[in-house]
Amino acid sequence: MKQFGLFLGKEWREQARSFKLVWVPLVFIFFGALEPLTYHFLPQILESVGNMPEGSEFTLPEMTGADVYASLTGQYQTVGLLVLVLAFMGSLSGERKSGTGTLLYVRPISYAAYYMSKWTAAVLLAAASLWLGYGMAATYIVQLYDDMPGFSDLILFLLVMAVWIIFVVTLTLTASAALPTGGAAGAALGILFIGMMIDGLVGTYWTWSPWKLQSYGLAYLMGGPDTGDLAGALAVTSVLIAVLVMCGILMARRNAAKARV
Amino acid sequence: MSITEQLADVPWGLVWPLIAIQLVLMTAALIDLNRKRSTNGPVILWVFIIIFINTIGPVLYFTVGRRHS
Repeated sequence: MKQFGLFLGKEWREQARSFKLVWVPLVFIFFGALEPLTYHFLPQILESVGNMPEGSEFTLPEMTGADVYASLTGQYQTVGLLVLVLAFMGSLSGERKSGTGTLLYVRPISYAAYYMSKWTAAVLLAAASLWLGYGMAATYIVQLYDDMPGFSDLILFLLVMAVWIIFVVTLTLTASAALPTGGAAGAALGILFIGMMIDGLVGTYWTWSPWKLQSYGLAYLMGGPDTGDLAGALAVTSVLIAVLVMCGILMARRNAAKARV
Repeated sequence: MSITEQLADVPWGLVWPLIAIQLVLMTAALIDLNRKRSTNGPVILWVFIIIFINTIGPVLYFTVGRRHS
């Protein structure tokens, strides 16, 4: 436990010095502000960017707060995931390569504390960034759109999304424990995006999957999801996270020998 | 419509956070670049990417530009 605290302090300093503490939340906040603005000013943007044939008219659908949240979630599912995976892909593999690893691995450290400290720091940063992004979007939606989703629905939505983000971060860290940096990014992104494709193809039948979480979360904003399916998806995701954490600790220990001296 | 009128039409109250975020990201990236000076590719290229590509420039620097060592 004492080791865990020490490692967590180290992770914290690492995140501050590499400016991760600044740029990861800012990217999420940026998209959170941009998305509601773009949709609100879409008619003017289309007019000024133009190249529309004379007399063409668009009837743009009336966006509600929940619609903006849905489209922002779509952004986070692509750009957000990319940012998170790229930010954390080197967490363990980078230390093996740079020599920081050697300084650690010669000591009798607990690999569980080592991995869990990285996991805690990464999960906190990722979830905080995501929530700040949605919070920023909320301040714009309140100003620009008529109806704002209810507060308690919003909290439930944020909690479900947090579970999904924890899954993403755990997957990235475990890939980083098992593979070199480039391979880790490839593997994590591959699994995430292939999962989304599979979910798109057979999602109607495979209702208990981590990839379903974001649509169940969004369903809270649009009148309640199927709670049975949500519970199933949450259970499956939690089990997967636990398995990934265990694999990550094992791989971190096994790959300690690969650290460059 | 003159430039000043067009500028006055921009809803600055809503837009300024975007500009502020962009500036903070840029400054952070430049400070980090100045501190490390070891990048994948020429340093001067990254300076231009950070300054001239909106938002994505600094993020690109932090993700692929920094050499982890």
